[in-house]
Formats: sequence, structure tokens, C-alpha cells
Amino acid sequence: MARLRRQSDSLLSNWRQAELLADVADSLERVRATAGSDTIAVGGLRIIVNPSPLRWREAAERAWPVIDSLYGSAAADLPQYPYIFRAVDPDGSVRRTVLHVGVELPWDLDVRGTTTVLLTAVIAPHFDPAVANWLGTALRPTFRPQDERTAVFLQLVTAPSDAVRRCFLGDIARCKDVLQVGDSTGLVTRWYVTPAEREALVTESFADYFARGATAPSLQRCRQHRDEACTALLQSLPPGSLPRPLGHAARVVLVREALRAGGRDAYRRLVASDRGAIGARLSSAAGMDIDSLVARWRNDVLAARPRPLTLPWWAGFAAIGWTAFFGFCALRSSRWRL
Amino acid sequence: MTAMFRAVLYGQWRWSRLIVVLGTVVAFAIPLLSLQGATRADRGALQAQELLRAVQSWGTLYPLLATALGLLMAIAAWAPDHRGRHIHALTLPLERWRYVLLRFAAGFVLLAAPIAAVLIGSSLAVLTATLPPGLQSYPIALAVRFAFAVFVAYAVFFAVSAGTARTAGIILGVIAAVILLQVVASIANIELDLFGAAQTVLLLGPGPLAVFTGRWMLVDV
Repeated sequence: MARLRRQSDSLLSNWRQAELLADVADSLERVRATAGSDTIAVGGLRIIVNPSPLRWREAAERAWPVIDSLYGSAAADLPQYPYIFRAVDPDGSVRRTVLHVGVELPWDLDVRGTTTVLLTAVIAPHFDPAVANWLGTALRPTFRPQDERTAVFLQLVTAPSDAVRRCFLGDIARCKDVLQVGDSTGLVTRWYVTPAEREALVTESFADYFARGATAPSLQRCRQHRDEACTALLQSLPPGSLPRPLGHAARVVLVREALRAGGRDAYRRLVASDRGAIGARLSSAAGMDIDSLVARWRNDVLAARPRPLTLPWWAGFAAIGWTAFFGFCALRSSRWRL
Repeated sequence: MTAMFRAVLYGQWRWSRLIVVLGTVVAFAIPLLSLQGATRADRGALQAQELLRAVQSWGTLYPLLATALGLLMAIAAWAPDHRGRHIHALTLPLERWRYVLLRFAAGFVLLAAPIAAVLIGSSLAVLTATLPPGLQSYPIALAVRFAFAVFVAYAVFFAVSAGTARTAGIILGVIAAVILLQVVASIANIELDLFGAAQTVLLLGPGPLAVFTGRWMLVDV
């Protein structure tokens, strides 16, 4: 026992030493990377950049309102994490010093591209693993929230899931199921309501996974339209591996809606406690009950229906104009063809 | 003038009736075939994506049919004149431009049949289909777009066909020159993208072929 304790103490001491050395190396690398650089501060955004033609300040001025509108009062905590950027020659064949901190980007990037890089680089203040796990993606500020909502609209209409379709038609309980903000027991039957969906999921997405070992007979039965076999197979999947009927965008849009509804302190309330159920946390952030929040989310998504694929108004005139033009060309050929 | 137009129309109908009839049948059939399977009431949530995919795949046939109709009708409009070395046209008490206008207009009248077939076929297809919630049908928009595409295609080929051999030679020469220039520029490592520029001019914005591009969807979100 004493020997094991000595060994663990020695390991702990080595680990602390290694961590110290890593911190020193990191610090030296940071000094090397930021030598001769400028710091640009816009709102709570701090960026350290090397001299280059990139229009950093303009990009930061565009990015900051978007960041601020997402994180609200929590955005004031961002100066704790200054971002290091290094503009490099877009010609990849030019040799340059290799740095291990910060983000490199070509100096010929336009303002819009630079702003997008800034928005992508921003790390959410007070990272919350539970929210991140539920979202399945990072919550980032975006220039085009409308595009996100349109993508969710398309999912609502085309996702091969009856639960999603019912959500689209106004069943808020189904919306809560597919967004996983309510009761999360029995997800298989909540997400994939009909036997046909469950069979399709098993035979199309998990056929290889279940084809070997003890699950092979169940797979055969599932292929013979035995729903209990399909359901059992899906229930045997490791936690978190059941495909979500709606993509990440749906949940991101819900969080954005909660933050928009909850005002400037909404993000702080969302990440205040990492123990509660997601539904309750979103509800607290939004300052309204979860059903109302989900209903708002659905209305927002339905309002983002993409424009139908009809021709723009001018296309008809253009087509008539070109028809007349070519017709005129034909009339002008004054010589009879010989 | 009306009698003259009737005579030209009748002549053109005799020369191109096979094209018109076949084109009309195909134009009527494509929308119905694109929604095959959508008439079943037991279709579940699984099929919405498949339906859109099928509609999009069949949708590629509309611009092809429009181009084919425009080309064949333009050729049919001028073929007998070219074969007879324009002797019949020269005997008519009519200026050249009036004669061309009559031929041009007769072609449009005959092309109304396949356009109407697309409209009727599309309307019938969506009436008999059970569309999943959230999907909408656009039979009129599709027929209008088809009409524009047919008219543009017909006008382009009609103009080429009505021209002299010299005109056709000039057009072919310009296309060959563009290709040659692009090849030379590529060999000389000069940054010159003539094909890209031509694509932009012809296919994008108010370009003459813009009406042919994009997705031709009878059913969409």
C-alpha cells in the first residue's frame, strides 16, 4: 500500500512538473506569437494581430454587435480570453515561422470573411458541457440566423419522422420530444413513432452494426417486419447514438430563441447551473414556460419558409426580351439563303 | 394577311405535326410520371424526401424538352424553304421580313400545344397526388417557365436557321475562336476564363439562357 502511495505521489509530482513546463512553453510561445503585434479592442472583444492589410477593426466592429446580441451581459466576460490572429501570405509556397497558438488567415481576406473568422473563433463565455452535449454543436454568433431557421423548416418538412411531421403540424408535445427538452424516457418510440420508421432506421442505418453476433437474429426478425425486434435493437444502442430526428440546427435555433426572449441576462441564467434539466434551464433563460418557448420556436421556424422556386419577376421580361431580340435578328437577315 | 398567316400556319403544321404531337404527349406525361407514387394515401413521413428527389430528377427533362422542341420546330419551319432554295417564298408578293414574321408567329402558335400539355399534366398530377404537409405544388409557375424556355429556344434556333450560310459560319467561327483562345491561354498559363465569363453572361442574371437553369420543381417546400 505504501509502495503504491509513493508511486502515485511520484506520478502526481511528475504530472505537476509537466504541467508547469507546458505552461512555460505555452507562455513563451504566446510571447513569441504576439511580439510586434497590436491589440484591437471593440466592446468586449480583444484581438491580438500582427501588422497586415486585413481590416481587423472594421471586422471587429461588425462582429461585436452580433456577439453581444447572443451572449448579452455575459459577453462582458470575453476580454478574459483575447484571441490571437496572424495574417500570413496567401501564397502557400512562402516559408513562414510555425506558431502553435492563435489562428492563421491569409492577408487578402475581405472584411466579411474576416468577420466570419472572428465569429467562428469566439468561444462561449462559461462553457457549459451539458448544454454543449445536448446541442451536439457549438453555439456561435451568426450573421444569418434566418438561414438557420430556414434549414430547420426544411428539416421539419422533409425529415423521415412522423414525430417531426406532427411537430410541424402544431403538436407542441411532439416538438418537445424531438428537441429533447421534455421527458426523455423511451426516446426510441418518442422519436420514431411508427414501426415503419423504426424498421427503416435499423435496416438502413444500423444494418452493419447489428449484423454480427447476438443481434443478428433480431436483425433478421426486424427485416421480417417484427416491430418488437426493431424496437429492442434500437433500445440496445449505446446512450447518445440514436440518431436525432432533427439536426443540430433545430436545437441551436431554440437556444437562440430562448436567449432572444430572455433579454441581456438570459445567457447567464442558462449557464448558471449545469445540473438542471435542459428544458428547465431554457425556460429559466427565456423567462417563460417551456411550452411557450417551443411554440415561439415553431412559429419562428414556420415564418422562415424558403421562398418558392418561382422565376423572379424580371426573368419573364428577360425571356420575352431575348425572344424578341432573336426574332428581330431573324427578320434582319435580308438576304435569301442560297 | 390573315389568310396568308393561315396558309403559313397550315404549311408549318404539316411539316412539324409529328414533332408537335410527340412533344405534347411527352410534355403531358413528364409531370404525371414525376409524381408517380404520390397518389398513394398510405405514404408516410418517410417519403417526403424521396418525393422531392424524384420530382427534382424528372425536373431536368423540362429544359431538355424545351430545347428539343425549340430546335426541331425551328428546323422544321425552314427546312422546306431551304430544300426548295426559297423559290416558293420569292414568288410570294411579300417582303422578306413579313414572311419571316409569319413563320415565327406560326411556330409560336404550334408550340402552344406542348405548353398547354405541361399545364394540364401538372395540374392533373397535383390534383391526384396526396402531398405530405409542408410541400406545395407549382403547376402554373412550372408551365410559365416552360413556356419562356420554349420561346427562347425556338427564337434562338429560328434566328440561326433563318440566317444565311455566312451567318451560321460567323456564329460557329466565334464559338471556335473562344475555344481556341481559352486553349491558348491555358497553354500560356494566362489567367483567362472565357468559359466562366461566357457562362456568367449566358446563364446568370438576365442572360438569354438563364430561364433554363435552376431547379424545375412541380412540388417543393
